[in-house]
Amino acid sequence: MEEFKVTIEKFDGPLDLMLHLIKEKQLELMDLDMNVLTDQYIAYLNSMQQMHLEIAGEYLAELATLIEYKSKRMIPGSKDELEDAYEEDPKERLVRRLLEYQQYKEISESLNQLFEERQLMMGKPLSTEVDQWMKQPDDQMKYEGNPYDLMKAMKRILMRAQLSKPIEARYTVKEISMEDRQVEVRAKLDHLPETFRFEALLDDVHEPQMFIATFLAVLDLARQHKLFFTVDEQDVIWFRRGELVNE
Amino acid sequence: MSEKEIITEDNTAVLDEEFTEEVEESQAPDPKEHMLAVLEGLLFLCGDDGLSIQQSSLAMDVDEEYASMLFDDLQKYYLQESRGIEIARFGDKYRFLSKASIHEAAKKLFQTSNEVKLSNAALETLAIVAYKQPITRVEIEEIRGVGADVMLRKLVARGLIQEDGRSEAAGRPILYSVTDEFLDSFKLLSLDELPELPQFGSDESEDGELFHS
Repeated sequence: MEEFKVTIEKFDGPLDLMLHLIKEKQLELMDLDMNVLTDQYIAYLNSMQQMHLEIAGEYLAELATLIEYKSKRMIPGSKDELEDAYEEDPKERLVRRLLEYQQYKEISESLNQLFEERQLMMGKPLSTEVDQWMKQPDDQMKYEGNPYDLMKAMKRILMRAQLSKPIEARYTVKEISMEDRQVEVRAKLDHLPETFRFEALLDDVHEPQMFIATFLAVLDLARQHKLFFTVDEQDVIWFRRGELVNE
Repeated sequence: MSEKEIITEDNTAVLDEEFTEEVEESQAPDPKEHMLAVLEGLLFLCGDDGLSIQQSSLAMDVDEEYASMLFDDLQKYYLQESRGIEIARFGDKYRFLSKASIHEAAKKLFQTSNEVKLSNAALETLAIVAYKQPITRVEIEEIRGVGADVMLRKLVARGLIQEDGRSEAAGRPILYSVTDEFLDSFKLLSLDELPELPQFGSDESEDGELFHS
């Protein structure tokens, strides 16, 4: 067997490793020499093991395929005609997968370039006050938000909260359960209009724990259909009271 | 008007032809100039939230075609070398962004320049989703040869991909697709703008050239 030099590179999975080996040994991908590839692959995994590096399960799974292919070839006359007829040749399948993987591996380099270019362009940070200027909700809005919009909007609220935080502040940690907070939130509802923004519930909230407790409280109220929510294009969370609030 | 004057004083040499012509034509307030100013102001106010053609046409009481033309003109104006911001459009929102040439200086001003890096695994997964969406976890794993569970959850949490219904296949697995934030992060107007996938295969490329080494 050829001398094998260990290069400690991070491979993104077995296909990535195979592409590397193919390139290193200058194998033809279109006419792949499975023997060489398998030997190299095994040698690589062995050397990883010698260095006490953990080998992820995925590498072993592909190894099994390679060895199965090789062993079938080695036993004379074991070629199962029937099987060949309706199963894709494992070698063809591997080549097809390598080709496809290579496509995405290459394109992700172009994407990374775009990503890095974009990172150099910066937007103005969110203004804390823009919120207040934005217009009121219209009645046409459907109050059936989806959780992903809600998550995104909540992230934005926390970012804004971060911005409006005083440089120095003293506060005592107040522990409050979601249930207790829900009682407080319900009390607030009496003084709020039919539709209101999530921020309307946050006037007494300064610590992250309280944000979370409030958020969980309204989520639970939404689950009980006591509140309905929607998230508009500006990532503002709007609530509408359900009929059962004042039961 | 005042804006126009500033433009002519500061940048006569680099001025876009369109702008110079209009200045020469008349001294009376030009409705289009006014509209451009309004649009610029709106864009400024919207900050990182961005402004869509639809929103601006509502706010300015003009049709969307006209609004889109105004955006084009304004965009062109900010392309001048002497301007430090540009109007970018990724997804359907226009936004002021500082130009890449500003980045060096901005880094010194803001100490928290947290440049985010995406790992190869993240990039490959995103690429697969973007080109093949909607796509299931298993299909992604088949292409990359590695488990995608954790990576998909990370990308969802970062808002780059989202769950997009369920496949009809057995077990009704979740389908994933990319978000507007993905488009924004990769300077794309839409998925049509994705670079073309390289073609490897017996058809066109000579085998020797499979890897450009």
